[in-house]
Amino acid sequence: MSKLLLTNVTKNFSNSSGEVTCVLKGIDLEISDGAFFTLLGASGCGKSTLLNIVAGFEDVSGGEILIDSHAIEGPGTDRTVIFQDVSNALFPYMTVFENVEFGPKMSGQRKSDRKIAVEKYLKLVSLENDADKFPFELSGGMKQRVQIARSLANEPDILLMDEPFGALDAITKKHLQMELRKIWQETGITIFYITHDIIEALILSTRLAVMTAGPETVLKEIFDIDLAEPRSPANPEFAAMYQKIEDLIDEEIKKRKLDE
Amino acid sequence: MNRNHLISSFSIFVFLVIWHLMSVNYFNPILIPPPIKVAAKIFEMSEDGELFFHVWASLYRVIVGYFWGCVMGVAIGVAIGLSSLLNDYLDPPMQFVRNITPVAIVPLAIHAFGLDEASKYVVIIYGTIIPVILNTATGIISVPKIRIQAAQCLGASRFEIIKKVVLPSSWPFVLTGLRLALGFAFMGVVAAEMIAADTGVGFLIMQSRNMLLPEQMFTGLFMLGLIGMATDRTFQFIINKVMRRYMILIMAESGFKKT
Repeated sequence: MSKLLLTNVTKNFSNSSGEVTCVLKGIDLEISDGAFFTLLGASGCGKSTLLNIVAGFEDVSGGEILIDSHAIEGPGTDRTVIFQDVSNALFPYMTVFENVEFGPKMSGQRKSDRKIAVEKYLKLVSLENDADKFPFELSGGMKQRVQIARSLANEPDILLMDEPFGALDAITKKHLQMELRKIWQETGITIFYITHDIIEALILSTRLAVMTAGPETVLKEIFDIDLAEPRSPANPEFAAMYQKIEDLIDEEIKKRKLDE
Repeated sequence: MNRNHLISSFSIFVFLVIWHLMSVNYFNPILIPPPIKVAAKIFEMSEDGELFFHVWASLYRVIVGYFWGCVMGVAIGVAIGLSSLLNDYLDPPMQFVRNITPVAIVPLAIHAFGLDEASKYVVIIYGTIIPVILNTATGIISVPKIRIQAAQCLGASRFEIIKKVVLPSSWPFVLTGLRLALGFAFMGVVAAEMIAADTGVGFLIMQSRNMLLPEQMFTGLFMLGLIGMATDRTFQFIINKVMRRYMILIMAESGFKKT
């Protein structure tokens, strides 16, 4: 049984003058429990829209989304989103501890249980010594780790990540990618990841879909990624996969340019 | 700190010296009395309690009017910020009315409420409530959407989101409004007292003109400066004590980094 099942998902937007744009057209996708699934595509193809729909922030215009065979009804604690703009996503007036504590607090856990949960997840992201700091005292990478800890503390089934490392420098990005992979392996959580970075996608994922360029985006091709561990761009299989995917994306970009 | 104190003391001293020389040698003493005479008058009026009486009259009006103006202003501002419907209806008239200074409201207030205390409070509340509403509503609307979405993912109810995300996030804006409103409240009370009161610093200043008492007028002006500074400092102090973590937020948003 799949963790996340999208069947013929369509999303239309209408602007103020009533024009309707079809952003997503008939997306079919199946993600199994514990998978690390990545959605790859050029900017503007509708990746974030699809994530917003799975998160429950937007409704579908057509089709169906099932999580563990249940339909989605708005945002829920079983799917937590990690945003790219971490400074705005975190609660700046709360300490690191209080940020991470928020989810457990909202689900009514006792103070002592909350403390245990917070400490566990702060340790997982290596921030156990920064619990009393405020977000503005942290670097971008540390803030993103707080967001990850905050999302995990609520023990969701699926982690939805919208280009979470896009705003970080290359070195921090690499470290966080490795940390994320480790966390994923340790917790066994299902991850739905969005990026435009092919290498990142190949390093992290077990399953990968390339989106066509918008509008009326569909999933162009879906791959199961079974590369050797540890994942490395130096590996020839990795490089071949990279080339294959890059060609697919270039094809889409060319198509879009022709249409314009 | 010491160096800054020295510099400001010195510049104040220089200012007083220039004032004295200009007043004695150049200006009409009826118009601009020398600082020594003003200081003497301040001392005299403090001693017989007259100064305290008028200062307290003004201060009391401001405190009460400002308090109610802020309470109503925050409530209305939050309502406007949370409801796009209310915002659509109320924002255009507010944007129009905000340009009408509380000073201009004084004659209307007297016309409607006569010469007793009500007319003063109307002016003060008017001056307070408008900036508070506008800044509060802006603060509520400026809460980042993803922050609210994050809270939704973490299981917060609509009420909890308002209480724990929307309101705290908008505090810097609300505080800006409160501070602005304090200035308008004083402006309003002085104007109202000049025209329609027999107590208060505004009255004192107007009476000084009517009775040709320039030292008293300058005493009144000096007290306005002093009260303004004192209330602003008190405001900051209370905020620091009560809202420390939001002050951190404000400092952070303006780019301050703790070393």
